[in-house]
Amino acid sequence: MLEGIMIGLTTALNPMNLVFVVCGCLVGTFIGMLPGLGPMSAIALMIPIAASLDPSAGIILMAAVYYGAIFGGSTSSILINAPGVASTVATSFDGYPMAKQGKAGKALAIAAYSSFSGGVIGAILLLIAAPSLARVSLSFHSTDYFALMVLGLTAVAAFSGQGNVLKAMMMTVLGLMLSTVGTDQTQGIQRFTLGMIDLLDGISFLLLVMATFALSEALMAILRPKAMTDEERRKEQEAHSNLGSMKVSKEEVKELVPVVGRSSILGFLVGVLPGAGATIGSFLAYGTEQRLAGPTKGKLFGKGSIRGLSAPETANNAAATGSFVPLLTLGIPGSGTTAIMLGALIGYGIQPGPRLYIDQPDVFWSVIVSMWIGNIILLILNLPLIPYIAKILAIPARFLLPLILFFSLIGVYFVSFNTFDIQLMIIFAVAAVTLRLLDFPLAPMILGFILGGMMEENLRRALLINNDSWSFLWERGLTLTILTIAVLTLVVPMLMPLYQKWRKNADRAGEGG
Amino acid sequence: MFFTKRRIGAMLLLAFCIAYAMLAQRIPLLPFQADSAFHARTMPEILSILGIGLCLAMIVLPSPAEYVELKGKSWFTALAFLVLMSIYGLTIRPFGFVLASTMLLGVGYWLLGERKIWLLAVTSIPVAVAFWALMSIGLGVFIEPMPWFLRG
Repeated sequence: MLEGIMIGLTTALNPMNLVFVVCGCLVGTFIGMLPGLGPMSAIALMIPIAASLDPSAGIILMAAVYYGAIFGGSTSSILINAPGVASTVATSFDGYPMAKQGKAGKALAIAAYSSFSGGVIGAILLLIAAPSLARVSLSFHSTDYFALMVLGLTAVAAFSGQGNVLKAMMMTVLGLMLSTVGTDQTQGIQRFTLGMIDLLDGISFLLLVMATFALSEALMAILRPKAMTDEERRKEQEAHSNLGSMKVSKEEVKELVPVVGRSSILGFLVGVLPGAGATIGSFLAYGTEQRLAGPTKGKLFGKGSIRGLSAPETANNAAATGSFVPLLTLGIPGSGTTAIMLGALIGYGIQPGPRLYIDQPDVFWSVIVSMWIGNIILLILNLPLIPYIAKILAIPARFLLPLILFFSLIGVYFVSFNTFDIQLMIIFAVAAVTLRLLDFPLAPMILGFILGGMMEENLRRALLINNDSWSFLWERGLTLTILTIAVLTLVVPMLMPLYQKWRKNADRAGEGG
Repeated sequence: MFFTKRRIGAMLLLAFCIAYAMLAQRIPLLPFQADSAFHARTMPEILSILGIGLCLAMIVLPSPAEYVELKGKSWFTALAFLVLMSIYGLTIRPFGFVLASTMLLGVGYWLLGERKIWLLAVTSIPVAVAFWALMSIGLGVFIEPMPWFLRG
C-alpha cells in the first residue's frame, strides 16, 4: 500500500497535475454555484478538455471539478437558498437561516471545514477499502459481474425515493435501450441505426451527457418564469453584499468534531452503496444528528443550527469519495457522476475494475491521493476567496445561459467534428427537458447507458461459458446471492408502505377491539 | 384526473418502447444464430418487454396527483434557442467558427433580454475568438475560423 501511495503522490504532485487540481477546484466551484448546474454538468463540460490529457491528469481534473462543484453547490445553498445539486439541499436547511441571521461568512466557513474533513476522512477510508475490495473482486466471474450490474441498476431505482421507483427503473431501461444503438460489438450487426452512417458507432456518451444535463439544464433555466429569476437575483444581491465574520469559535469546533466524525463514516458507507450517493448520505446524516442532538438542540435544526449545517456537508463529501469504491474496484459506478467518470475512463481505453489496481496503479493511486490534495487545495483556495467567489452569483443569467449552451455544443463538436452530433444533441435535449418537466430522473438513464454495453457483454460471456444455459443465475452461489440482494433492494422499499399501512390498520383494530 | 405527470411520461415512453420493440424485430440474424440463447436481438427483446411492462404498470397503477403546468413558462424563448442551436449546427462549417459562434452568443444574449449592441458585441466576439485561439493555438485542435468567402 505504501508503494501505491508513493506512486500516487508522485503522479498527483506533478506540477502540471497540481495546476489541473487548482483549475478543477476553481472551475468546479464556479459551475457548482450556478443554480441548476451540478457536478454532473460540471464534469460533462470538462470531458472534452480531459480527453486531450493523459488518463491520470484527466481523472485528477475531473475529480477536482467534482469536489469543487459540491462545494460550489453548498455556497449557493447557503447564500441564496438555491442548491445547485440535490446533495446540498440539506445544507440549505440550516445554512440559509444562518445567512439570513447575518452569519453567512461563518456558515460558509463551517461548510468549507466540514467538506474538507468529510473528504479527507472519506479518502482515508477509500485507501483502506478500495485495495481490499479490488483483491476480493479478482475472483469474480462474468456471471457475478452481470449480477453486480443488475444490483447497481436496481439500487439506483430503489434509492430514488418513494413513488419514483417505477420511473427510475424505466429510465434505467431507457438508458440500456440507448446503449444498444449502433453496431453490435461481437457480431458486427447493425442495430437501430435507421440506415444512418452517423449512428454506426452508436450514440456518443459525451453527447448524451451534455444533452441531458448541461444543455437541458440551461433550457430548463430559460423556461423558468422570469419573476422567479428577478426574485432570486434580489436575494443573491442581498446575500453576497454582507457575509459577516468567518471565524468559528473553540466551543463550536468542540461541538462539531463528533458530528464530523459520525457523518464522515455514515456518508462514506452510504456512498459505497451503488445508487445511494451523496444526496441520501447528506439527508441521513442530517436526520441522525437531529435525533442525537436531544430535544433542546434538536429544536434549533432548520433555524440555523451549526450541527445541522455541518452534518450534511461532511456526509455529502464523504459519500462522494465513497462512490469511487465500486467504480475503481468493480468498474461499476455508484452514482450518476461516477458513471460519467467511468465513461471518460473507458474513453481513455481504461477498464476500471479489479485489474485497474494491478495494471494501472498510477491511475488508481493518483485518483485516491489527488482527493486529499484536492480537498486541501479546495480549503486553501476557497476560504480566502469566498467573498469574491460569491460575487459570481451576480453574473446575469442572460449572459450565463447562452455561454453554457455554447460550451456544451462546442464540447461535443470539438470531439467529433460532426455537425450531425449537434442536431442529435438538440433532439436529446428536447427529450430530456420533456422528461424533466414530467419529473422523470435522468441520472438512472446515464447509468443504464454506461453499463448497457458491459452488461450485454457479460451476459453473452456467461451464457457462452454455460453452454447457452441460463442456469448460472441460480447455480453459482455468489451470482445468486447478488441477484437476491438486487431483488430485495427493489422489492423491500416498494412493500414498506404497504406493510406500514397494514400495521397501522392492525393497531387501530387492536385499539378498537 | 387521469393525465398525471407520471402517466403522460409513461405513455410517451410506451410509444418509444413499442417502436423500439418493432425495430428490434428487424435486426438481421444469421441462420445459425436464431436458435442460440444469445444473439444480437436478445438484449433488445428483454429490454422491450421490461420497458413496455414498466410503462403499462405506471399507467395502470395509482399515480400521484401531480399535473403538468404549462402556463408561466417561456416557451417561445426556449423554442427560439432550439432553432438557434440548430442553425448553429448548420452554419458552423460554411460561416466558420468565429462568425457562427458570435452569432449564437449574440442572438442568445438578445433573446434573454440584452439590448445594448456594444454589450452584445463585447460579450460575444472576444469569447468566440478566445475559445478558437485556445483550441487551435493552445491545444492544437484546428477548426476553420473564417467564413467560406474569406478562406484562402
